[in-house]
Amino acid sequence: MCKNMVFRNCHSTKRKNKKKQKLKKCKRNYYASKKHSIEHVIGFLGNPNVGKSSLFNELTGSHQHIGNWPGKTVEKKEGHFILADEYFSVVDLPGTYSLSGRSDEEIITEEFIVQERPDLVCVIADAMRLERTLYLALQAFELTDKVAIIVNMIDVAEKHNLEINRKKLENSLGVPVILVSALRDSSLIELKKFIYDALHTDKYHFHPAKIFYSDKIEGLIRKISEQIEDRKVLKEYPTRWIAIKLLEEDNWIKSELAKEFDLDILLKTLEEIKEKEKINPKVEIAKTKYSGLHTIVTQSVKGDIEFKETLSDKIDKIVLHPIFGYPILVLIYALFFFISFSISSPIIDGMSYLLNLFAEYIRSVMIQSSSPEIITSFVVDGVISGISAFLLFLPLIIVFYTLVAIMEDSGYLARSAYLMDRFMSKFGLQGTAFLSIVMGFGCNAAGILATRIIKNPKDRIRMIVSLSFIPCAATLGVIAFITGIFFAPWKASLIMLGLYAFSIFLTLISSSILRLFMEKEDPLPLILEMPEYRKPILKNIYYLTWSRAGVFVKKAGTFIFSASIFIWILSNLPYNVSPEFTILGYLGKVFSFVTYPLMGLSWEMIAPLVFGVAAKETIIVALGVIYASGDLKSVLLNLWTFPQVISFLLFQLTYAPCFPTIAAVKSETNSNKWALFSILWPLFLTTLITTIVYQILNLII
Amino acid sequence: MTKALIDVKAGEKVDIFLINAGFKAHNFLADLGIHEGEKVRVVKNDYGPIIVEVKKTRVAIGRGLAKKILVR
Repeated sequence: MCKNMVFRNCHSTKRKNKKKQKLKKCKRNYYASKKHSIEHVIGFLGNPNVGKSSLFNELTGSHQHIGNWPGKTVEKKEGHFILADEYFSVVDLPGTYSLSGRSDEEIITEEFIVQERPDLVCVIADAMRLERTLYLALQAFELTDKVAIIVNMIDVAEKHNLEINRKKLENSLGVPVILVSALRDSSLIELKKFIYDALHTDKYHFHPAKIFYSDKIEGLIRKISEQIEDRKVLKEYPTRWIAIKLLEEDNWIKSELAKEFDLDILLKTLEEIKEKEKINPKVEIAKTKYSGLHTIVTQSVKGDIEFKETLSDKIDKIVLHPIFGYPILVLIYALFFFISFSISSPIIDGMSYLLNLFAEYIRSVMIQSSSPEIITSFVVDGVISGISAFLLFLPLIIVFYTLVAIMEDSGYLARSAYLMDRFMSKFGLQGTAFLSIVMGFGCNAAGILATRIIKNPKDRIRMIVSLSFIPCAATLGVIAFITGIFFAPWKASLIMLGLYAFSIFLTLISSSILRLFMEKEDPLPLILEMPEYRKPILKNIYYLTWSRAGVFVKKAGTFIFSASIFIWILSNLPYNVSPEFTILGYLGKVFSFVTYPLMGLSWEMIAPLVFGVAAKETIIVALGVIYASGDLKSVLLNLWTFPQVISFLLFQLTYAPCFPTIAAVKSETNSNKWALFSILWPLFLTTLITTIVYQILNLII
Repeated sequence: MTKALIDVKAGEKVDIFLINAGFKAHNFLADLGIHEGEKVRVVKNDYGPIIVEVKKTRVAIGRGLAKKILVR
């Protein structure tokens, strides 16, 4: 049975829509084929929380490559291992519960299985929850024969005296089965050998169990199959699978088939039968699969206890307690912030010191070698400070990601979503959106990346563009500085608290307003698996952090850098004039034609905010440069009126996202339109609100 | 006697009789093994989403949705 030994010939693949991806693959194959003449492609498929990523990490080690699936925001993880001089490329497919929905994750998985034709699809199952985690395998059986089952966490099962009969499981499923534990070194070698053998020897057979549905459903499948047997569209997909998909009311399949067939009559009869027989085919299909699995699992597993209160249940009694749960939540997130800032800020300070030294060194070298002043300034204040801005951004991002990965891996992330669901649902959001708001307080860009756990695509976009209303750590610095000048300490802290409350309110309101304009889809209420608590695995945290940070660095790096250069040009040209006569000064004056009458913001107040778009930390520095005479505090105290102060505070709080945030919006939504919207929307809403407040204050005072 | 899932006390095991939810929610539940004819055990039901045990996993279900799931 050596038919799986395929020489992958790059020149014969001619799929237009996949051209780019193929090209990349060819390149990789080229390098691979230099050393290894045979390449196999293996897909890893599995539910969330079955240890799929751990196995993937163990198997591929540092040979990983993270990117995005073409045209999608879903992460694509690829890695490889080499055995007996053969190259095994492993694709870690997105974790999903099923293949019958239409989420991006599921579409990607189906397309991968059918169009890329992997040599083997490994379905990872959890030994403790076989019934649930094998469901995906039965769905994969309908797409391809080349499926193998990896039953993971066998160590946990043994602890619970669960005996899994591998041979029986293999016989009833009709495909190779292996029992492993990601924690055991021996499992790793066994797994590699298993994959190798599955592809090379006739030790294993691939005759996946065929699922037969009720007579009514089978009748419908037959009816549809007959009509679409000879087709030009969806040729790569199995006919039976398409028929089942059509019964499951898959819109994509419907529209693809409608290109060739007149489905009206067929769909009408389907509706009639459903109405008359009172059946929901989608649910019937799922039910049949589950009942088949129930039989298979009961036959091959011994020692299964019906129900037992687990340690996780006991912990949840406290952590999810209606009263104690919330102080615990506050405590954990307070700790989260404390740790992330206390670890990253000394690193940032140290780096900032070194980068300054470096910049000044370069400046002195350039002055000595008598290079023109404008070039020196461009190199030092433009290029080097651009690189610095980007580098200084990294420690916080990495620490943040590490902590999030720990929360995710330990199982607490799902709990915090659970606790916040009731509150968030009042604003049409799920509990899962909570984490991104929390992260946003540290750094908006990090918050945007945290929206990945929001499953509804539209909810996610709403949250992404609403997140810039959250004041980040840098904005806090500006607020503290300004309120410190104008108000007594107790008043200042009250105002700060008020501004924070106001920004959370704005974020939620923004999300609610956007919901009104987005086309309404079937709302998805909270349905969330509560995974068992477990000790975070260091290796998982490491890979999770670096892969995410790496993607961000690649995407945002060049953007932040070029933005800094752009700001240098604005604020330094024409060269050697006072700030008032630079491009930025003129820009500020143009803006002030609008902002002054509306909100009392003069050009000196607006120009620093243009800097703020590059990085909010620079607002205070820019104020100092523009009001260059004497002590900034006393100058501002003399010049700004009370309504102006309030107006400035309100406006700077939410007026626009910074460049890294815009970069994050762009990379997460994969759309320039949303990136542009994420700038204009806060600008509009903030101007509106600040104008109202300023005008009222002016009337009163 | 049929009642809504939301009225079931923690610790009780019930048979799902009818799910009156929207198309998407209904499908997602079915994929998780929560469908008509399946037995689930309520693990937690006090404040916030209700947690049920089904096929050895714990699934949190929003209270609104839990009202639309009829059990007996």
